[in-house]
Parts: sequence; structure tokens; C-alpha cells
Amino acid sequence: MYRYDEFDAAFVRQRVAQFRDQVERRTSGELTEDEFRPLRLMNGVYLQLHAYMLRIAIPYGTLSSRQMRKLAHIARTYDRGTGHFTTRQNLQFNWPKLTEIPDILDELAEVEMHAIQTSGNCIRNVTADHFAGATGDEVADPRPYAEIIRQWSSLHPEFSFLPRKFKVAVIASEHDRAAMQLHDIGLHLKRLQDGRLGFAVYVGGGMGRTPFVAKKIRDELPEEDLLSYLEAILRVYNLQGRRDNKFKARIKILIHEAGIEAIRAEVEEEWQRIRGGALKLPAEEIARIAAYFKPPGFETRPAKAALRPADRAFDRWVTRNTHVHKQPGYAIVTVSLKPIGGVPGDASAAQMDAVADIAERYSFDEVRVTHEQNLVLPHVSLGDLWEVYRALKEADLAESNAGLATDIIACPGLDYCALANARSIPIAQRISERLAPRQDEIGDLKIKISGCINACGHHHVGHIGILGVEKRGEEHYQLLLGGSGAEDAAIGNITGPGFGPDGIVDAVEKVVDRYLELRSGPDEPFLAAYGRLGAAPFKEALYVAA
Amino acid sequence: MSKRATGSSILTANRLSDGRAVFLDFEGAWNESIDVALVARASQEIAELEARGAFDAAQNLVVEPYLVEVRETEGRLMPVRQRERVRAGGPSVLDDVPGYAAPETARVPLAERRTDRVLEEAA
Ligand code: SF4
Repeated sequence: MYRYDEFDAAFVRQRVAQFRDQVERRTSGELTEDEFRPLRLMNGVYLQLHAYMLRIAIPYGTLSSRQMRKLAHIARTYDRGTGHFTTRQNLQFNWPKLTEIPDILDELAEVEMHAIQTSGNCIRNVTADHFAGATGDEVADPRPYAEIIRQWSSLHPEFSFLPRKFKVAVIASEHDRAAMQLHDIGLHLKRLQDGRLGFAVYVGGGMGRTPFVAKKIRDELPEEDLLSYLEAILRVYNLQGRRDNKFKARIKILIHEAGIEAIRAEVEEEWQRIRGGALKLPAEEIARIAAYFKPPGFETRPAKAALRPADRAFDRWVTRNTHVHKQPGYAIVTVSLKPIGGVPGDASAAQMDAVADIAERYSFDEVRVTHEQNLVLPHVSLGDLWEVYRALKEADLAESNAGLATDIIACPGLDYCALANARSIPIAQRISERLAPRQDEIGDLKIKISGCINACGHHHVGHIGILGVEKRGEEHYQLLLGGSGAEDAAIGNITGPGFGPDGIVDAVEKVVDRYLELRSGPDEPFLAAYGRLGAAPFKEALYVAA
Repeated sequence: MSKRATGSSILTANRLSDGRAVFLDFEGAWNESIDVALVARASQEIAELEARGAFDAAQNLVVEPYLVEVRETEGRLMPVRQRERVRAGGPSVLDDVPGYAAPETARVPLAERRTDRVLEEAA
């Protein structure tokens, strides 16, 4: 894992001291709320519906056991015993007191964490494939590049006041597990035609009010040119992105309005000007950062677990929640944070401690956070799976539903979020309970729920997406079908008139029933069936059939 | 169920120190319970509430004060908008974890579903 150097450590400490002073000046009245708001936002502190919320960055979703234990400690000491993992691989605490947040930040600094750039119009926490460094289908670990981007973008003087927030995701596999094409910049690490490592670069993806799948701006970018090319894109955006209208300020709108060809030409021109300069990445620097991410000391193990206890629940969990590891004899384990009827993405302090202990003992001290609001133990020996399963079960973390209909993404919605129109969590809970008995029969299905058009719950790219709106002061829900956040990225289509809080659960069930009725067989997943059949039979089930 | 015409308002804000949603009560203090909120029914009273919000914000007691329209139903205060009902009542999801909250949850008497109490009971 990456370790702070002296510069990083001093910088984060200094920032906490600054914020402590700012909080003191705010509570003493020296700073007004208008003066203080941008300062707190730069440190990840929001004012939500019921209280302040602190958003903590988890760079590329990678945590050590020590860091996870610290998060558990903070949840227990300063919050109400729970943390919420988000679709940006971050963690949010929903109840911190403003006056205690500097202490929380000091505690985080002890374990090389912070909340800087988790808000505001800057380059946000860089996300990555949560199976990075463990999956066999990647060309290399994408996290060293994410770390290089993190260092470049932290407090970048030119890009601290962009027209709008800016999100970057990095993957290194043909399977997109990071919704890469729904980011302002998506980077796909691959082998270039000459055999060297480099990137396909995508730009202008995003959800929110006006969703777009990103467009490819460059097919082949040598790795040494990564930062100069990013700087060129950011510079064009910073100069031309709209600042007159918040809803049109993201780079996706610039690309849409100016056209990808025009923006590509400008980026290339700027890039040619700066590419040989200070931002050129020397091979030694890439190697230095990559060394922090070198694979742990895997042992040679049999490729198959020799002994599997005769336990059907364990079997089901192995089938659903483990993924092939690049190292024979190991597996990647998904720890579901989606208990049936539970709150998606929530983990109690005790559960965080349990995961930290399990990771320390069985997964080389490493945990990942997924954008689907689950956790991952990236390197578990097949021979340890039974022990890991039992330990997770003990902590109520062994739900065998990764990728199934109850593995729902839901944003905090109206239960916490000041911007929300409708609640997301109770809808997720009710759908989970409704579909749980049939989830194995239904198979892979991604249901994603947002409490407002900002789309933190990724509803646009759910196979089934749900968007909360407000209608005459009451909660109302639109239904979308056919979206995908994977390599086949697509924006879902609204089915028609929306539904009330009760009706939306029935509507989802009707869609599922119609799919089960019309699919060519259990091997045809929902998205494939939807692609073949179109929206008509589903609309018929929703709006016409008795 | 008897309902008054809309137009009654209460004043809410977030407390500066901890961010908690609070309501101006009939003693002029900021209280976490909507049940004791001071109700303004005439335009003059509403203007006074607004002025009080601006004053207390300037005094750094609270932030972002605003008026919430309420219905007075059988002696209880019920915000007109669902958003304000959830804000006043606390996250519905904490009420019955690991089960779910029916949409009706926000309509049960708020005093019976205060988040604090639920948490105390759980502790
Ligand atoms: S989608 Fe809307 S309601 Fe949900 S967390 Fe984002 S801003 Fe809040």
C-alpha cells in the first residue's frame, strides 16, 4: 500500500491545524457561515438534513486493517456507531459534531487518511477497479496511476476552483467494475500497439441531471504522458467550461456542446505544448510508486480448495461472493454490505473491526471498498475460505448476494441528504425483502436508487433504476430500465409515469416477473433480455396489464 | 380528521455546534423537538419568526434558518412537505433496522419516533 512520505504527512497535519483554527473562529463568531462554508466543504464537511456529515476519502478504495479499525473507532467515539460506504469508494459519517471534526481529522491523519477534496469544484477522490492487483483479467495494477493522479491533483493550484467537480476513474481490465465511462475522465490502462503500457482516455461521462456515457478522446496514450495529457484536458475545461450555469458546468456539457472533435483538437494542441515538460513521468517514478502496490507474498497453493465442508450456505456464498484471483490457490472475496432488508452500504463499528481482523489474518492486511457499496477482501487463500466465511457470518456479513437483485445501490436519500426529494433507503429495503426469496432464480440484476436527480445512487445505469422526485410535497419515483455502468455502459430509459412509495416496489416486481416470463432461459440475463425485447413488454406489464 | 387550512409556519435551522435540526420553541429557545415549536399563523407573526431566525444566525447560534409550513392536526404539528416530516422525525431507517420503514412511518406521531429515543433504547 502507498505510505505517506514526510511531505504528505506534514501537509495533512498542517491542514488539520488550519481547519481546527477555522472551526474555532466560526464558533466564536469571527467567521460568518458564508465565509466558513467553502472552508468546511474543502475539508469534506457538509451540513445535511439532521446534522453535519463528514466525507472521508478512501483513495482508489484501498484500506489497511489499521485504517479500517480507525474508522470503526471514529464511528464509535464521534458518531452513532455506523459508517456509510458510498458509490465513490468513500466513507460518510452522518452525525459528527462540528466542534469535534478537527479531532476526527487528527485521528485520521494518524493512519494517513483525510477528507480533503471530497467536496467542492476540484478533482475528487480518484477511484479504481476494486479488484485491482488481484484479478487475473487486468494488464497491470491500475492503482499506482490512481496514486500518481492523486498526488498531482491534491491542492493543484490551477485546478482547485474548476467550473464544477471533477471525477476520475482508472481501470486496467476489459471488464469495467468502476463505471469508468461515467466519469469526467475515465482511464483504461492497456497494452498499446507497440506493447508498452498506456491508456485509452475517455472524457465527458457523468450522471446527474444530464447523463452521458464518456467519449473516447484518445485511444493510445503512453503512460509517461499521463499527467501532461490530463493537465491539457483540465486546462481546456477550466478555461471553457461554463461558470454561468451550475447545471451546465460539467465537462460533459462542454463536450456535448462543442463536440468531441473540437475539444480533442484543443486538448492535443495544449498537450503538444506541454508534453515534454515537467509533467513527463520518468519510468523510475512510476516504478517507485508501483513498488508500494507490489503483490503480497503469495504462497504456492493448490489451485482448488482441497476440502470444502458440506454446507450449502457456504457453497452458495463461495459461488456468489468469490471471484477468480490471478494467483492460483487464492480468491477475491466480496463482503456484502447488503443484508436482506438492511441499509445498503452501512457497516457498524463492530463490523468494521471484524473486517479489519479478518483482513489482517486472511487477506494480507488489505480491504477494498467498491463503488457498489460493498467491501472486498482481495487476497484470500482458498484453504481459508471456510474460516473467512464463518468469521463474516459471525459479524452478520456473509450475505450471499453479490451481483444479485438484493445487492442494491442506494444513496442516503431523504433520510439524510439535504438535497434529496425522496427516500432511497426504505425503498431499497423493501425491494430487497420482496425479491430475496427469488434472487437466485432472477440471477444477475443491478438495481440502483437515487433520492434526487444528482444521481449519487447511479440510477441512470441501473439495469433497473429508480429516481426519487417530489410531487406536491410527497415522495414519488420514476422507473428506468436498460442502463449499465459496466463495459457496455448505457443510460436507462424512463418507463413512463412514476409511482408512489408503495407502487414503486410493485412496479419493480412486475418488471422482474415479466423478465422471468419472457427470458429465453436462465442464461439470458435481464439486460440481454431487455436488449432483445425492448421496453414494450415491460411497459405493458407496468401500465396496461391488470 | 380535522385539518386547518395551510399557512401556519414554524421556524427551523441547524444548530451551529453540532448541526442538529432544531425548531424555535414557544420559550424562544432552539429545541430538537418539533412538538414544542412556536407556530406563526398571521403574516406579522411569520415576519417576526423570520427576523428572529436571521438574528440568531447572526449571533452564530444556528445556521440556515427557514420557515416550514405545517398543518395543525388534532393538536399535533405536521409539516406539509415529506422532506420536513423526515427532517423533524429523524431518519426513518433508524426506526426499525434491520427491517424497513414503511412510507407511513413519517406519519406516526413524531414524538413516538424520535431518533434519540430509538437509539437510547437500542443502546
Ligand atoms: S442523489 Fe441526491 S438525494 Fe441522493 S445523495 Fe445524491 S444529492 Fe443526495
